[in-house]
Amino acid sequence: MPDSGYPWPIETSRLDNGLRVVVSEDRTAPAVAVNLWYDVGSRHEPAGQTGFAHLFEHLMFEGSVNVAKTEHMKLIQGSGGSLNATTNPDRTNYFETVPAEHLELALWLEADRMGGLVPALTQETLDNQREVVKNERRQRYENVPYGDALLRLLPLLYPPGHPYHHSTIGSMADLNAADLATFQAFHETYYVPNNAVLTVVGDAPAAEVFALADKYFGALPARDDIPPAPDGRSVPATGQPAVQTVTADVPAPRVYVAHRGHPFGSPGYDVLTVLATVLGSGRGSRLYQRLADGERIAQPDLVGAYGVDLAHAPAPLIATATARPGVSAERLAEGLAEVVDELATVPVTAAELDRAKALLSTAWWRQMSTVDGRADTLGRYATQFGDPARAGDRLPAWLAVTAEQIAEVAAEVLGAADRVTLTYVPEETA
Amino acid sequence: MTLIADRPGPGAARPYRFPPVVRRAVAGGQVVAAHLPGQNLAVALLLLEAGAGREPNGKEGLGGVLAKALEEGTAQRDATAYALAIEALGTELVTGLDWDSFQVSVQVPVDRLTAAVQLLAEAVRTPRLDPADVQRVRDDEATALRMDWANPGPRADAALRADLFGAQNRWGRPMYGDPESVAGLDVEDVTVFHSEWFLRPGTLVVAGDLDRIDLDALASAAFAGTGGGPADRGGPIEVSLHTERRIILVDRPGSVQSTLRLGHPSPHRAHPDHVPMTLAGTVLGGAFTSRLNHLIREVRGYTYGIRGEFASSRRFGRFAVSSGVQTAVTAPALIEAVGEITRTQAGGVTEDELAVARAWRAGQLSVELQSPRAIASALTTLVVHDLPDDYHARLREALLAADVREVSEAAATHLHPEALTLVIEGDAAVIRDELQAANLGALLPWPPLPR
Repeated sequence: MPDSGYPWPIETSRLDNGLRVVVSEDRTAPAVAVNLWYDVGSRHEPAGQTGFAHLFEHLMFEGSVNVAKTEHMKLIQGSGGSLNATTNPDRTNYFETVPAEHLELALWLEADRMGGLVPALTQETLDNQREVVKNERRQRYENVPYGDALLRLLPLLYPPGHPYHHSTIGSMADLNAADLATFQAFHETYYVPNNAVLTVVGDAPAAEVFALADKYFGALPARDDIPPAPDGRSVPATGQPAVQTVTADVPAPRVYVAHRGHPFGSPGYDVLTVLATVLGSGRGSRLYQRLADGERIAQPDLVGAYGVDLAHAPAPLIATATARPGVSAERLAEGLAEVVDELATVPVTAAELDRAKALLSTAWWRQMSTVDGRADTLGRYATQFGDPARAGDRLPAWLAVTAEQIAEVAAEVLGAADRVTLTYVPEETA
Repeated sequence: MTLIADRPGPGAARPYRFPPVVRRAVAGGQVVAAHLPGQNLAVALLLLEAGAGREPNGKEGLGGVLAKALEEGTAQRDATAYALAIEALGTELVTGLDWDSFQVSVQVPVDRLTAAVQLLAEAVRTPRLDPADVQRVRDDEATALRMDWANPGPRADAALRADLFGAQNRWGRPMYGDPESVAGLDVEDVTVFHSEWFLRPGTLVVAGDLDRIDLDALASAAFAGTGGGPADRGGPIEVSLHTERRIILVDRPGSVQSTLRLGHPSPHRAHPDHVPMTLAGTVLGGAFTSRLNHLIREVRGYTYGIRGEFASSRRFGRFAVSSGVQTAVTAPALIEAVGEITRTQAGGVTEDELAVARAWRAGQLSVELQSPRAIASALTTLVVHDLPDDYHARLREALLAADVREVSEAAATHLHPEALTLVIEGDAAVIRDELQAANLGALLPWPPLPR
């Protein structure tokens, strides 16, 4: 068993304004990954402003005080780099990987949009990106079969007012109502150095990165009254299963079973990570063996189980299966529930456990095989757990999970009385 | 002011390096490997001359069914035992298919690579192919394709491909087949395709820390029991352009977006204009900063994204643009997209745009080639297209040396806005009239009328 899942050096620093800087030098390839985690996500959005954190992420590419509209992308791509950003309920991350000689450019660009976005933000830009985001919603959620599954699961899992109750993409009505002043305030509130972690991984020495970070970010003012998101740590069990059946233009019945588990980063979440792999990853998983191969009621490519790795509340664990032709939604739902229920009653064998741990080990090292994968991981652990070095604990923690722990956690959080079941039924058979 | 206004220039450039390539002939097959010192993860990929281009007409999807059938048990063990054995090493069997080749690979911590390759070879060389299993896999694959074809895109792709290359040709039909072609396969199709194409040695591609990998042992396992010589690859296929632009409307009632696929045939991979064509395609539609995305997304807000580029295989190629636009702006988006293609063909590229395109394409050769999986994929390019070990370094130089004149010439020569086929998958009842009024080309009946 490895002592650590992160066998590279990690050096950290904190600027006077509170910006945490994490550096992990690796000169294997002449590339460097720059990654910023801002500790703001859709969990911070009040009612009526769903989708704002994500729409704001788009605005961060549209220019700042010293960077013209669309120039950010042009400068990074024109340096040979790759870039993107993502928003989820917990946080917003921005990242680029560039040939190492362009590190300073990347830091300058990130500092400019951290410290100088608001003066460059215009109504025209907001209107344009609002339309882009609405098209993103159409393309990813509305125009594909089952595309709205997560949008439906979240409010069934979390009560109104809970920070995970609504989806990150938000509602069309809220997006239409978004006004410029709200976004200016959003930036001034959350896009401050003491609410961010800057991580640099690759062909750059720590001392150089610290000096550059200070040069470009050091004079940006901190803010000491960043409002926290609503507390969602405790979600009372309803004692009532939640069931929703949707008749839609889908090609086959599909069932999702979802539970609130433990927050990402907790020992319970590690157990659930191994449990989900036993349950739903690969042809050796229980769902495949029982539903796709054994009873042959589920389509083999479409069974699966996974945790959604959110850290600020009990995170969702989701299992899904899609019916083979001629199999009813009811039959499939029964079969899926039965396999989930058995996690608490049929002990996981040594072979099942070893298989899951082997697959998770490969998945971990795959994430670590690129500088950008490492940078995002370190940024996560620094942001959510205060110490990037805790990234090294994850793989050993997975490998230490026992069959007894899986049965215990399954009994604790996967009970039928606290289950969300979402079923899609094709229109013509309804 | 707390911000530094001056944009910093680049530091000293690091020399470009692609990992050292090792080639070896072992046990009747070829090994092509890249050394990644210190890398914990390793990838081995068996590359076979068994791409979709080998599938007989009317048997589209054969390779996909065979790929799945490989895991339904081997001469040594049944399907469940096989799944448990290979997943206990930390990998699944990953199969892939394109027009030129079939590939099957494993990705594991480096100390498990030999065991994983032994299991890979067991499935590829000695699958059980029990008739009942093959029939079930075929039915499952047909169902899987029906699921996929319920998404926007596959039907539009098929319509475009058929119109460019002719549905009577294998390369005019979908690479993975369609639900009907897969449902029509029988057991013998699968077993014959296996014996014809999966028992030749092929090439084993390896990316990992070669100090911890025994290439000879991997090759012995991968090539055991194989035979048969190299297969004829066939020459480039001549594809003629349409004489007039045309529109195909694929109905998707109630769709909130229109899925766009615009394209025409273009040269095969070995064409001498490959680099300037790639750059012309990048300026027009290959990057976020390209003309199409800038206009249709960043200025107009019609879409979440639009891409366009030249793609090529050994025998043929095509230029294609793809996007999803809000239903209400379908015709304006098409007019703007065709206009941008026309402008690029007629006026070429600017130095400012080309500077971004060449730096981006060149930089991607280091930024995106880090993981063993990415390096293995780069090695397959060498094998499939007979390229030398220093290909990536040479490509980088060629990209950086390309000038405005040659890239503009490639755009002028290889873009054909007047010969485009415009496929729109969307709500026909809503958009048909405005498409006809847009004056972009004749609306063809779809599906085609029987002859």
